[in-house]
Amino acid sequence: MPPEKEVAIEMVNISKVYPDGVLALDKVSLTIYKGEIHGILGENGAGKTTLMRILYGNIKPTGGKIKVFGKEVSFGSSKDAIKIGIGMVHQHPSLVPVFTALENIYLGLPSNFKEQVSLKELIERTGIKVPLEERIEDVSLGIAQKVEILKVLYRGAEILILDEPTTNMTVEEVKEFFSTLRNLKKMGKTIIFISHKLKEVLDITDNITVLRRGKVSGSLPTSQATPEELAKLMVGREVFLKLEKQGSRPGEKILRVEDLWVKRNDGSWAVKGVSFEVRYGEIFGIAGVEGNGQSELIEAITGLRRAERGKVFFKGENVTNAHPLKLYTMGLAHIPEDRQKTGLILDMSVAENSILGIHRKRDFLRPMMIFNENKIKEHVERLIQQYEIVVSKINAPARSLSGGNQQKVVVGREFSKTPDLIIASQPTRGLDVGATEYIRSLLLKMRNNGKAVLLMSSDIDEVMGLSDRVAVIYEGEFMGISETSSVSEKEIGMMMGGYKMGEIGIK
Amino acid sequence: MSLQLKLGERYKEILFSISEVALATLIGIGISAILIKAGGYSPTSAFFYLFKGAFGNLYGLYTSLSYSTPLMLTGLAFALSVRAGLFNIGAEGQVYIAALGAIIAASLALPSYLYLLAEFAIGIGLAVMWSLFAGILKVWKGVNEVVSTIMLNWIAYWVTEYSRSNIFYDPLSPDRTIRIPITGRLPILVENTQLYSGIFISLIVVIVTYVILWKTALGYEIRAVGLSPSASKYAGIKYSLVALEAFALSGLFAGIAGVMETIGRPPTYAIVTSLTNLVNLGFNGITVSLIGRNNPIGIIPASIFIGGLMAGATSMQIFAGVPLEMVQAVQGIIVMVLALPGIIRLIKSKIRRR
Repeated sequence: MPPEKEVAIEMVNISKVYPDGVLALDKVSLTIYKGEIHGILGENGAGKTTLMRILYGNIKPTGGKIKVFGKEVSFGSSKDAIKIGIGMVHQHPSLVPVFTALENIYLGLPSNFKEQVSLKELIERTGIKVPLEERIEDVSLGIAQKVEILKVLYRGAEILILDEPTTNMTVEEVKEFFSTLRNLKKMGKTIIFISHKLKEVLDITDNITVLRRGKVSGSLPTSQATPEELAKLMVGREVFLKLEKQGSRPGEKILRVEDLWVKRNDGSWAVKGVSFEVRYGEIFGIAGVEGNGQSELIEAITGLRRAERGKVFFKGENVTNAHPLKLYTMGLAHIPEDRQKTGLILDMSVAENSILGIHRKRDFLRPMMIFNENKIKEHVERLIQQYEIVVSKINAPARSLSGGNQQKVVVGREFSKTPDLIIASQPTRGLDVGATEYIRSLLLKMRNNGKAVLLMSSDIDEVMGLSDRVAVIYEGEFMGISETSSVSEKEIGMMMGGYKMGEIGIK
Repeated sequence: MSLQLKLGERYKEILFSISEVALATLIGIGISAILIKAGGYSPTSAFFYLFKGAFGNLYGLYTSLSYSTPLMLTGLAFALSVRAGLFNIGAEGQVYIAALGAIIAASLALPSYLYLLAEFAIGIGLAVMWSLFAGILKVWKGVNEVVSTIMLNWIAYWVTEYSRSNIFYDPLSPDRTIRIPITGRLPILVENTQLYSGIFISLIVVIVTYVILWKTALGYEIRAVGLSPSASKYAGIKYSLVALEAFALSGLFAGIAGVMETIGRPPTYAIVTSLTNLVNLGFNGITVSLIGRNNPIGIIPASIFIGGLMAGATSMQIFAGVPLEMVQAVQGIIVMVLALPGIIRLIKSKIRRR
């Protein structure tokens, strides 16, 4: 038996009450050993980030003790945390885009900084290879994330806090990133891995602490954890990770896209001659790594972007470059990719957002276009109840809602239109397990009721799990369209990487 | 029952606004005091008369209110544009052109009861048209409204000034235009003061605009476009149409202000040399709007405040002996300091939207 493992961090009974009275953390205790990768798992709003920001000195706890390497500490700011060897890498890299990787690593070093190891040696030892002379704006998010880790390590961090580091990474990037983390672990670094992605946490961590609503709901070694168990701890109930799906009975075509060509804002071609159709009673999925033209494709279909060439038919009518209003009246609903910029107006109230796009519907109006506030109130309260939207009051600005609740407002509003075709772009991105499951079940219900769904998502599991047929887009072209049942996840992954369906031997 | 912020939060916001204005005023007074002192005058007596002239007695109050009458409308013109995401500073020129419209109506041979109607119709018509020039350029060619309205302001200035001196001058007193016929004037509210009945029109327009902005689908679309162009496009709101509506409405407000100043304010009832009775009505409206947080209801107290500053400035000049130029400088300093928080907010929100 090796001697007792050294404890890196011990947090005892940490509580945090925000000034507005929200109890974010309720007596959370947590032990992290030196040299382990410790997963902090929880839904959005469970308190993961608050806990880590306390550890990093960003915010002060209302109560509780923190010990680092056996010594009790009290941080005034994150500077104190850095001094003692704690480094944090945020979800969105906080690097200067126009500076090179190297400049970013050196940026902000104190004048009396003494390096423990040279940067060159650090790169060699960790195996984190980044193009040091490239500007951050020219590299992928995965690389930017690595630069940030190097930056933190260079400052002598022994304990690394990674907040949802894989959010913007592709499958390949995640793989490579994990091997980097394993390398760091071998060097004796302690890593805290915050995530809500079960698979990743199971893959990379040694121990897992699960948070739910500000409390520790479970703490266990990864070797003893199963996805079902973790999901249960996260949401507090059994979750059906695999949705029940009946066989599809596709009917007539509802949407037909013919040889569509769409440009990006900068004038380059985003979509190069895409054709497909969606039928009543099916979910048609579009998979692909983000940035391969799927966003522009959806925008062109929904009337938000000009189609330069090609045609779109909806219910048999040519609606190429039609105004969104026309499409909506014909029975289309659209859950846009970016809820904050497109799906909602953050500075308007939840009530006002609940009628966005249907604000001219006769139900909501009195003569002279005056709003019937009673009807609007009924409408928003119905959405809040049906979709379990957590909102303090219906006239609170949408900005004040959590990401998941914002998405529920959008989804609820779009479903309230009782559409025949719903186009859902990244409908569950950034959502917790509960909300994700709910939205997915809504999409399936649509399909089971004989309506149509066009689903665009960069989450392979989501596309594979929901779609009856799936297309993979790569650099503006479809690599193939297939029945979901006759294609494997691996094959989809290869198509996402640019292999045509014919090349990998699927008919 | 309202769908917007709850009343409690409204109060907080109002209190914050008031303290902000109070602080800005104090800073403005402080800077001005140094200036007045340096000029060899007494700051205490200057500010005593400034306040007394503004709100110190009934006459002062009436004068302040009379100055606030057009400012409410020009403030509203700017505020509505901001709500639609437009930085429309064209009210200045629209005021001139509306005043010219009123004079054109007065020059016509009409049955006496038709003058009021004609003045408003022609004045407002011209102002809306003037505003729509900028609107059409914006929607059709993407011309920035700041540039186009500044240019249109100058065109309006010289068109009006030329018409005053060459077409509609009064042969008996060529320094001004012909006067508005007596049946074409707005009634005075309080004898021997400048307070005329137009203030009721201003108040009604402000309240109606408030209702339009927050209780109707039209106002909803205007605010949606202003807050998020991409989301409003997604919502099926036609940007060009809403932008044109906003330009037309703000032209309407400025037009009413220009007409009323010409046909309501005693004793001139005409346009005078260099348009001195109209100059800055539009620009001061921007200040009013910024102080009032671009909210119609906030504009009411804000316009009375700025009106008071204008009324008090006259009294400061007469009773404290401060020369006109310095009075104007003091006025400018206070207005600038007052507008600063609003300007900063406006810039911040623009940046955040990017």
